[in-house]
Amino acid sequence: MDTNSDDLAEVERRARSIRRRVVTVVERIKVGYLLQGLGAADIFATLFFRELRLDAANASWPGRDRFILSTAHNTALLYSTFAERGLIPESALESYTQDGSAFEVNASERVGPLVEATCGSLGQGLSVGVGMALSLRRQGLDSRVYVVLGDGELQEGQLWEAVLSAASFQLDNLCLIVDRNYLQVEGHTDKVVRMDPIAPKFAAFGWRTLEVDGNSVGEIARALDVARETKGAPTAIVARTTPGAGVPFLEGQMAHVAYLKPEEARRALADLEAAQ
Amino acid sequence: MTLTIPDGMGGFRDIRYAEATAGARSYGKALLAAAEVDPRIVCLGADLSQPTQTTYFRDTLPERFFMVGIQEANMVGVAGGMARAGDIPFAHSFCVFITRRVYDQVAMQVAYPKLPVKLVGFIPGLTTELGVSHQAIDDIALMRALPNMAVIEPSGPEQVGAAVAAALAFDGPVYLRLSLSKGAPDETTPLQQFELGRGTIMREGADVAVVTSGAMVGHALEAAEMLERENLSATVVNMASIKPLDSALVARLARSHKMVVTYENHSTIGGLGSAVAEVIALSGSTPRFAMVGVNDVFAEGGSTPYLFGKYGLTAGDLYRAVKGLAN
Repeated sequence: MDTNSDDLAEVERRARSIRRRVVTVVERIKVGYLLQGLGAADIFATLFFRELRLDAANASWPGRDRFILSTAHNTALLYSTFAERGLIPESALESYTQDGSAFEVNASERVGPLVEATCGSLGQGLSVGVGMALSLRRQGLDSRVYVVLGDGELQEGQLWEAVLSAASFQLDNLCLIVDRNYLQVEGHTDKVVRMDPIAPKFAAFGWRTLEVDGNSVGEIARALDVARETKGAPTAIVARTTPGAGVPFLEGQMAHVAYLKPEEARRALADLEAAQ
Repeated sequence: MTLTIPDGMGGFRDIRYAEATAGARSYGKALLAAAEVDPRIVCLGADLSQPTQTTYFRDTLPERFFMVGIQEANMVGVAGGMARAGDIPFAHSFCVFITRRVYDQVAMQVAYPKLPVKLVGFIPGLTTELGVSHQAIDDIALMRALPNMAVIEPSGPEQVGAAVAAALAFDGPVYLRLSLSKGAPDETTPLQQFELGRGTIMREGADVAVVTSGAMVGHALEAAEMLERENLSATVVNMASIKPLDSALVARLARSHKMVVTYENHSTIGGLGSAVAEVIALSGSTPRFAMVGVNDVFAEGGSTPYLFGKYGLTAGDLYRAVKGLAN
């Protein structure tokens, strides 16, 4: 098992480095999930550098914590995080979305055991997480299960079946993080289906519920601490994130996929350098 | 008794499960017997323990029984997650709800990752008076179209234990299509073996080969008796392994018989009949061919004899189809 960092400044440094990778990856393919990648970088950095129990040398180590990205498409960020964490080689990022590459737009288990389940058909990832949490518990293992959802995914009915089920089974080894960025293909989530208030919905379903600034490593870390200490119920962390976070001229832009010109990429990288 | 079978055959588990389930004439008892020898087996339910015969499991191994509730989509995802954590989940509902209702979940969380999840459905085809909502006339077509998925429909209580053993020994996803047996299973009925990818010849004849599965096997044998009286001799094959299909046997039947007729409690589109037709079309043989099944219509609630009569699924319908081909 690898050692995680309790130093929040180190996690923030990692988040900035992950953001630089996201910009570089999307620049290479010209159009991609840039804004969400930047927006959720603090969540991913906190999970992969402070929270998740992993062994970079043995991705299928049975004692690992399970991580499921239910939306599956926020992969400029996912693979950048893997590379930053040393879980995949740098060359993998260069093959991102190329024909024949295992590093597809929607993360699939072709990548290997790092992708615990092939999601992307929205609404399914939490059910898989519930199943893993049930089996790990019955097998007497103390591994935890972390599921990251996009907020648009909350519109899927199956998701709420899984929410009911996780509370009913009292799965305190399960933690859900909702990336609340108000972004879906059609536009602003609230113009598609009104979902607020989200946290009280989870609370009413019997979950331990926390709302945090998803661009604050400190707040995310504290919420994950609470989740780990919670007994008898799963935890939902509703993390408000700003699309494009960390790059001032992109912050708050609302586009499901973004085009990134070379000069914009240079400017974004310069902004991220300046933030250090 | 310990037997050793060469690697690659799943042999060790074959023997163990076959021994455990031998003699079980109800699905519920076969599953429990298998679970008692294999601690990885877990049982998932969607509110239907009694009608899916899982009360035995629930009451005997409660710590391995997971009642998910009326949430089939979630149940299939949960089963996928449990399989990924090393368990062997058996997930239960009615045929229509464990296939059509959850098709995308099955495709993505069970079939694509080739997980050892066993989807067990009851009430096949028109065998329910509840109505069209509970009638699975397309479940075989749906499951057969999924890569990696095996589809098994045993003929009845005499074959269910062997089918459960084979489903377990297959290291991948299985759809098990089961009928509710009426009353207590007949302990005197000889047990029937089952092997994945193999059909069983129930009766040998020279004129027509009838390929069928499930409860229709019994009706096909009745029709064969009726045909015999008209000097038409029928081979009847119990094709409980619908996928993988026993293609070699089908091709052989197509060569050795003038007529091949399929007979199924399912739509004639995409089911066993289609599977057999696909093999014959590629085989180079040209027997006369007919399909007896639900003819591209939705049915309605009613007793099974009434519905089988109305929708052309009786032994008499099979008899007439063969006579029609022979003339």
